[in-house]
Amino acid sequence: MNRLRALFLAPSVGFTVILFLIPLSIIIGYSFQTRGVYGGVTAPWTLENYQRLFDPLYGLILWRSLVMALLATALCLLIAFPLALFIARAEAKWKSVYLYLVILPFWTSFLVRTYAWMFLLRDTGLINSLLLSMGLIREPLPLLYNETAVVVGLVYGFLPFAVLPLFSNLERLDKNLLEAAADLGATPWETLRHVVLPMCAPGLRAAGVLVFIPCLGSYLTPDLLGGGKSIMIGNLIQNQFTTARDWPFGAAISLALMALVMILMVTVLRQDAEDSL
Amino acid sequence: MDVSLALQTLTKTFPSHRVVDGISLDVPKSCFYSLLGPSGCGKTTILRMIAGFAEPDSGEIVLNGRKLNGLRPYERPVTTVFQNYALFPHLTAAENIAFGLQRRGESAAAIAPKVTRMLELVGLQEKGGRLPANLSGGEKQRTALARALVVEPELLLLDEPLSALDPALRKRVRIELKQLQQRLGITFLFITHDQEEALSLSDRIAVMNKGKIEQIGTPREIYLTPRTRFVASFLGAVNWVDGAGIRPESTRISRQAPGNGARAVEAEVDASTFLGDCFHVHTRTAKGETVTAQIPHDSEAFANGDRVHVWWDRSDELPVQE
Repeated sequence: MNRLRALFLAPSVGFTVILFLIPLSIIIGYSFQTRGVYGGVTAPWTLENYQRLFDPLYGLILWRSLVMALLATALCLLIAFPLALFIARAEAKWKSVYLYLVILPFWTSFLVRTYAWMFLLRDTGLINSLLLSMGLIREPLPLLYNETAVVVGLVYGFLPFAVLPLFSNLERLDKNLLEAAADLGATPWETLRHVVLPMCAPGLRAAGVLVFIPCLGSYLTPDLLGGGKSIMIGNLIQNQFTTARDWPFGAAISLALMALVMILMVTVLRQDAEDSL
Repeated sequence: MDVSLALQTLTKTFPSHRVVDGISLDVPKSCFYSLLGPSGCGKTTILRMIAGFAEPDSGEIVLNGRKLNGLRPYERPVTTVFQNYALFPHLTAAENIAFGLQRRGESAAAIAPKVTRMLELVGLQEKGGRLPANLSGGEKQRTALARALVVEPELLLLDEPLSALDPALRKRVRIELKQLQQRLGITFLFITHDQEEALSLSDRIAVMNKGKIEQIGTPREIYLTPRTRFVASFLGAVNWVDGAGIRPESTRISRQAPGNGARAVEAEVDASTFLGDCFHVHTRTAKGETVTAQIPHDSEAFANGDRVHVWWDRSDELPVQE
């Protein structure tokens, strides 16, 4: 029995060790060393990489990343909630169709879909050409290569991660409770506010975490839609490993980001545990 | 008689069949009124139409002179005790009770004493801070009752509120429920398929079958003078002998033929069941009709195969017309 269990667990343990723990140890090791001349790392061991994290310049990037990730998360939840409610209340045969539609974008590469947004937003893109030809504007609107474009891209990219947990939460919501609320004099809005939303707290938290974490660490979207500036922390990390050739500092930022995410996760999990008491 | 709720030729058709078929009835003020019938007889649909969760195809619902048709559930001065209680799981017992008062825009200062008084009324003063998950079945039931009563509805609807309780508790809660209704004087419309519940609680009962009302009356009238075979059978056991219906407790049994005045049939004992406070002796007549007699537990015992006479007073025959 125990041997059988070990046999079945071996692949996942092996994957975790080889693909996660070993690379993580290497990154931790890098973060305490000195940059090599052409990249890579070299002696001596140092804490300098972590001290540099407190440079106001990097603080600004981190702050901007947090704000953009929070904004994208809030917008995702705002869009996802009515959508999830609609799907949860739909007829059984339509539910699966709608859910397929929500995850349909995953059938195409994220990179390709982000390029598609560039075609939509650029000066000669679909939106600007349309507005120009209709005479509504004279100059193309600056839709691409700014922070708004990045937030739009993040919301688009991670919306399904918000819809799915909210859907599963809303679908389990006892319809009797909605009737009970109406029976006691609650208007539909009051029912939403005092019954549906509080009961969806776990789903909202799950959706928030699932969107916020990849948003905070995202690199592709700000890189393509933000115009190559170090807009978010993901781009900063990438820069250290490529252009700046400062692997130890890149490793230190990665670990700091990871620590931040872990603190957030623990806080949310604690809240979940408290709610389920 | 002051009428609280009046239903006038209420009809509701689902794609498959007519669930409520021209129901008319008047519920007097401060009355404990029961709709009694088997599942699928339409009683729950009537309740949902009064609460506003379903609209009738035709007919009117009038409460204290005001037509309710077309009003949203939250606009009706009616509250419901749901079968599964439907307590809000994220709110404590006290918060559940306060919910309806808050929706009416009452201030926290006005709400607190009402909630406390209601918790006391249903005997939950110690449990107000608990979430529904930490309440027993009986406590949940009382919380649901308190939540619906605290807003002082013109009519309280109860949808089989005792069916989720275990039998011993059910009987106790039944007595409490009746006392509470008498004390508050609120009109109760009680939905049940349990004839014992309906008989013991109600001032008046409407017996329903297949979307129609079979008979309306006091518990005594319904039980002692049922108008139809359905009502007679639904409210208790009936022996059907030569077209006459007799309750087992009115049926006598003896080895000798009875004296004058009684109707008697010869029969053979099939089985005897001891029920604690009495015996049920099951017999079979020559025609093959089964007749059950309820006799005191200290009376003469009958063995299977015994030849006996079953008999009854003509005045005990149920006046069934159809």
